[in-house]
Amino acid sequence: MTLTRLAFKSLLSRGFTVGLTVFAIALSVALFLGVEKLRTGARASFADTISSTDLIMGARSGSVQLLLYSVFRIGNATNNVSWESYEDLTGRPEVDWAVPISLGDSHRQFRVMGTTRAYFDRYKYRGGRSLEFAAGGEFADLFDAVVGADVADTLGYAVGDPIVVAHGLASFTEHDDLPFRISGVLEKTGTPVDRTVLVGLGAIEAIHVDWQGGGRKSGPATPAEMLREMDLEPAAITAAMIGVKSRLQVFKLQRAINEYPEEPLLAILPGLALQELWEIVGVAETALTGVSAMVVVTALLGMAAMILSGLNERRREMAILRAVGAGPMTIASLLMTEAMAMAAAGAVLGIALLFGGLLLLRPWLDAAYGLYLPVTGLTPRDLGVLAIVVAAAAAVSLVPAARAYRMSLADGMMIKF
Amino acid sequence: MSRVASLCAFALTLAPAVSAETRQIDAHEHGTGSLNIAIEDNLVVMEFEAPGHDIVGFEYEATSDEDRAKIEQAVAALASPLALFAPSEAARCTVTEARASLLTDQEHHDEDGRDAHDKDEDHHEDEHAHDEGEDHHEDEHAHDEGEDHHEDEHAHDEDQDSSHTAFEAAYRLTCDNPEKLTRLELPYFQSFPNAEKLVVQVATDAGAHAFEADRDAPTVDLRGTH
Repeated sequence: MTLTRLAFKSLLSRGFTVGLTVFAIALSVALFLGVEKLRTGARASFADTISSTDLIMGARSGSVQLLLYSVFRIGNATNNVSWESYEDLTGRPEVDWAVPISLGDSHRQFRVMGTTRAYFDRYKYRGGRSLEFAAGGEFADLFDAVVGADVADTLGYAVGDPIVVAHGLASFTEHDDLPFRISGVLEKTGTPVDRTVLVGLGAIEAIHVDWQGGGRKSGPATPAEMLREMDLEPAAITAAMIGVKSRLQVFKLQRAINEYPEEPLLAILPGLALQELWEIVGVAETALTGVSAMVVVTALLGMAAMILSGLNERRREMAILRAVGAGPMTIASLLMTEAMAMAAAGAVLGIALLFGGLLLLRPWLDAAYGLYLPVTGLTPRDLGVLAIVVAAAAAVSLVPAARAYRMSLADGMMIKF
Repeated sequence: MSRVASLCAFALTLAPAVSAETRQIDAHEHGTGSLNIAIEDNLVVMEFEAPGHDIVGFEYEATSDEDRAKIEQAVAALASPLALFAPSEAARCTVTEARASLLTDQEHHDEDGRDAHDKDEDHHEDEHAHDEGEDHHEDEHAHDEGEDHHEDEHAHDEDQDSSHTAFEAAYRLTCDNPEKLTRLELPYFQSFPNAEKLVVQVATDAGAHAFEADRDAPTVDLRGTH
């Protein structure tokens, strides 16, 4: 007990150096745990983006690529799926429902997605939650658009506002001849839907009726009234979400799509594609975890160096302790206690930094990257990491402890010239 | 005359479109089979597929009695799934339907062909002519003989007259305690010494999961998948 008090007082007397060391440990611990939080948060966030969809069908490419462009709007499709194949395959008896999606146009920095009204019922996220409207409703007219929460926030849109869709992505040719009207604004979901403008599949066709080879046809534009009358069946879609009647048929349907002789198509189970993605990303994650672990090791070594260099200054202190009856073992354990106290303080401060940082950065991460990080308690793994940090501190303090153990009583008593 | 010529030219441009055939060939990796498992309530459906190499050790057309017998034995073995892909005892699963067959390149995954397959049916004859027979095949795979895992993936051509075969099986199981289906043992690797790896995909109401089992770790942990 005396030893602990002594260690504590000794640390206090060297407040500034100790404070810096503790802070270094705290930062390294916060970094290490933060990387893990970010990793699991990103995984959960991705996994939450799509649920209750059995298969995603698109052009034959890679399963990860199809998942990324169809669900996360990352990258582009290599090919489209012809409407004929879509109708043919979704007409199969195994199919319960199918929602086509058509990507490729944009509105400002946001993607425009053509789909059917069924999307609002069928798209599920975060364990089966449905899309909710913050205002307005689904598209009623051909030129109605529904915008995600971030689109409405960033561009200040409300129900009834007109918007113009640009041809292609990052393009300046706008379909300004045919403005859309916002019929609904969606609630925030934490998924890429927040950053999407949804329009009817027919509307995507309609805005391209007067376009040919990337440019506008000469002559008068087809009036909107006429377009409403037209049969706007799309020639192709980008991908489709499919639900099966029975889970037991999911592999059978997947195989039928993958081996569809008329068109090279690919069907994926979203969960499996995501798992594949993690296997790829896993390497980078391991590297990141490794680097942050090295930072913790560096901080602990810094602490050992600090104690070691302090030994010279504390010769006298040690000698006095020895003179009043403390054995060399006691001196060694004093140093170890100090090290462990610093590491523990660093760990606690690190956790405080982590949660403070999370609370501060969360809204920004959510807005900028659509990454929703839940602030949860410490996991057993986190606690394990903290225990390891304290144990490692004890281990590295063995070096200065051994040195102090070997220092003779006379060493500190004699005044050297 | 010029009209005839232009008609001919027109016909020529059309010709490839008319005679267009679909040329799609599945990836084929020796040593690796796949097992898809779908679970709903107490019903379990399994689909198995593996290259002929894994199951009988050859992929040429069986002409000798010995090879034919091997194929027959393999099909018979594949028709009793619990001896190959054994779910946890506690789940109390029984097989209600099992069929296995050998597919050659031509009919590989042909939907109509599939339906015709029957448990009692031996195998389908390869329609390819194999003049070179075994020697040709061995040559093709000579490069991987030194490797432990025969993981050469073939992108091959119809013209090369090489063929691949695959064994395919489909099972339906009923489990009294599906919630106790937490493990899948794979004595499959003991039954077929050429099989090295099995990619297991599981789809349940809780989502889909993929696993890889191999000869050294012949089990799949199904906890948390359903």
